[in-house]
Amino acid sequence: MENLGYSPDQKMSPNLKLASKSKVKELRKYTAALLLLAPLLLFILAFFVVPMLYVFYLSFIEVEGLDISNASYSIGNYLTFFSDSYFLRSLWMTMKVSIYAVIIALILGYPIALTMAKSSAKVRGYLTLLVASPLLISVVVRNFGWYLLLVPNGVVDQFLMKLGIIDSPLKLLFSVEGVVIGLANSFLPFMVLSIATSLYNIDPSLEKASSILGASPLKTFLTVTLPLSLPGVVAGIVLVFSMSMSSYVTPALMGGANVPVLPIVIYEQINTLFRWTFGSAISYILLGVTLISVTIFSRIFERKFKEVFR
Amino acid sequence: MKAARITVTVIGLIFLLIPLIVTIGASFTTAGYPTFPPKGFSLQWYEKILDRPEYMSAFFNSVKFAFLAAFFSVLLGTIAGLALAKYNLPGKTFIVSLLTSPLTIPHLVLGAALLIYFTPMLLAGKPIGFIIAHVVICVPYAIRFVLTGLSGFDYTLERAGMVLGANPFMVFWKITLPIIRPAIFSGAMFAFLISFDNVTVSLFMVSTNMRTLPLELFFHMQDSYDPMVASVSSIVILISAIFIVIFEKIYGIGKLFGGS
Repeated sequence: MENLGYSPDQKMSPNLKLASKSKVKELRKYTAALLLLAPLLLFILAFFVVPMLYVFYLSFIEVEGLDISNASYSIGNYLTFFSDSYFLRSLWMTMKVSIYAVIIALILGYPIALTMAKSSAKVRGYLTLLVASPLLISVVVRNFGWYLLLVPNGVVDQFLMKLGIIDSPLKLLFSVEGVVIGLANSFLPFMVLSIATSLYNIDPSLEKASSILGASPLKTFLTVTLPLSLPGVVAGIVLVFSMSMSSYVTPALMGGANVPVLPIVIYEQINTLFRWTFGSAISYILLGVTLISVTIFSRIFERKFKEVFR
Repeated sequence: MKAARITVTVIGLIFLLIPLIVTIGASFTTAGYPTFPPKGFSLQWYEKILDRPEYMSAFFNSVKFAFLAAFFSVLLGTIAGLALAKYNLPGKTFIVSLLTSPLTIPHLVLGAALLIYFTPMLLAGKPIGFIIAHVVICVPYAIRFVLTGLSGFDYTLERAGMVLGANPFMVFWKITLPIIRPAIFSGAMFAFLISFDNVTVSLFMVSTNMRTLPLELFFHMQDSYDPMVASVSSIVILISAIFIVIFEKIYGIGKLFGGS
């Protein structure tokens, strides 16, 4: 303490008194803040953090059938997953479906975002409304529309047959293609909004400078706009990929038993077969694989385009 | 190049919106199965909803659960948000990311974890378990809305109230609350909609007699090909559309998802 230099009978300096008073005040402030934060903090700890840790712990318990009495700690659940070709195929299918969904969302999403960036504030507002609104409508409802479109002899089949492009139904429903279409449709808004945000941040004078210096619109796009929008593109890809990886409803409705992606397997293990410890392990495998793929992907991009990512 | 960009934009928007258009169109069909374009025009698939108790009770379940989930999310979120905005706590960013961390875990994994966690606590398949699970997924949004609403808040107003002799409760009631009311209101509506639309978490939390509307649709779609799914879906679209219009008026829908 600072008052060590003072003799005991000396009075406390007024400065010090003030300091201790403000310290008390600060302490009281923190107590108030903690009291206000406590309900939600406890809630999140009790019903989010602890359950997630509990499931992680369970994933290291191996159970024979449903009998918990002969449970043992091991990485057996993880070994089972990685040594069974059914589960490995399911993991690969999940990744494949998610990558396809990302590609479709990128191809359709980038032009939409570009149009939004180049429009007047009013048109941009309408486009944002059109793009973001579907996110507020239940995914079941949006998938039902695709169900009607893709069902054998449904809207798409009839349209293409009338045009003479195909002469028998495409069988898009209950297939990988159907799931990819459903996922791309569900998550396209996130791609558009991510890319649009980074396009809005581009200084328009850069594009002007490029065209004044004689670059064609295409060259300006390829050398100025596109590189500067990459952070948004990467963010969009990461979002759409991770949401597709863990999507349950769309594969269940559009793929059925034909497209057993990992979320379907997890649901089946936990909710139908009650193999909780194994289901917990698959859940963490899904989280891990998603996190690792996303990290590797964005690292590669950030390294390759250092200037753009600061 | 511009023509190509506009063309793809239009195709993209059609791709995005066509499932909604087809669903609404098919709900007016006169046929016994959903068709688009609809065969003729009738409202029979809307009238018949009233004779189907499962849809009616699912609708009321949805509204009830979403209302309660939104209420508790906003209550917890507002109290915590006020503390976070007002006091410059050490580790504030950490606390905010902890409180919003449910956003980073997929609903499927969260639902499974809560089912496993709730079963020994006898909360699985109970309304209270369902509401807790929905508050977990809704509360991060409530906090965000409150923090945004308080970001430009002028604390001299509160001090002025104190100086003039109001107690802390009066200060909150007469000064703070009216200023953040729009943020709380938007947060509540958003939380309501997130809960109302949810399928994946609900799947793990319900017993057969407490199905919500999206769940009822989900199960019906899997085992029957019935135009009533189209008419009920259209009603869900209509409800969402009302919310979307209100959001757009008071908040701007792009801001909800981090755009501008």
